Amino acid sequence: MSNEAALIAAARQGSATAFTELVHTYREGLLRYLLTRASSYADAEDALQDTLINAYRYLHSYDPRWRFSTWLYRIAINNISKLRPADTVELGDLVDEESDPLQHCIAASDRENLWQCARRQLSDEVYTAMWLRYVEDMSVNDISAVLNRSVSWTKVNLLRGRKTLGAVLNKDATDKKSKAYG
Amino acid sequence: MDNLAKQLRTDAERIECTVSEELDERIRASLHGITPEQAAAAGTRSKSFSFWFMSSLTGVAAAAAIIAIVNLQSPEPVPGPVDTAPVAFNLPKVQWKAETAVLTSPLEQEIENLQSDLKKAEEAVKQDIDRLF
Repeated sequence: MSNEAALIAAARQGSATAFTELVHTYREGLLRYLLTRASSYADAEDALQDTLINAYRYLHSYDPRWRFSTWLYRIAINNISKLRPADTVELGDLVDEESDPLQHCIAASDRENLWQCARRQLSDEVYTAMWLRYVEDMSVNDISAVLNRSVSWTKVNLLRGRKTLGAVLNKDATDKKSKAYG
Repeated sequence: MDNLAKQLRTDAERIECTVSEELDERIRASLHGITPEQAAAAGTRSKSFSFWFMSSLTGVAAAAAIIAIVNLQSPEPVPGPVDTAPVAFNLPKVQWKAETAVLTSPLEQEIENLQSDLKKAEEAVKQDIDRLF
């Protein structure tokens, strides 16, 4: 039995300590994702807390055929979609930079963070699919399970997301070159 | 890993966030105050099983008693001869007026062109998807 499986078994028996250890490696990644979806840092923290509480409470429903992170993300996405509209960032809309929690957490750079572009240009589900694929390294099957979509839908929308963000990246590169050559 | 994938990963890492000690404490405290559903449901499951078993048993006994009483009281009546003469249906005759559609040759050509364009586009998308995933 792997360490993760042993911790899951112990947590199912009611060990909160085992569960805390189990989710320790996933917390930061989840918080980072939730931060890109919530309207404030506090909301993202609340959403993380709710996600972990729900995961612990309904641990019996976890199917070991899937990766544990897949299941956690599914709960996190459900939680963030349950937040009242004012608490979530509507993807595709322009966000006020002053109040955007993501803006404060991004390290300074000479170009805009691609995830900020993604928030403006991609739909909610495509954004999540891209995040799961390129940040969490999830397989297409796992992503389709998290989003409750078909594998072909996931593939096509990942391709669309890539095309959109690829165009942004290419534009940035062209702008830099034209600046360099005056 | 291609350039876009690298850039997306780097940009995600540039989002600085940590689980603060305060949040960690909050999460720990909430988790200790919760019992996982399965542990709580174990007691009720055995109760609900015995309840289900007893009610099924009562239902079966009641059904058996009713069947026995009905069979003892009245013998089943023998059905008399039934008139089974076939019923004739007069279906109305439908007169179809069908005309063949005439497609002019430029339109046919247009459709063929569109279909071949569609096929090419589908193949291009399939190739892109297979190459990436």
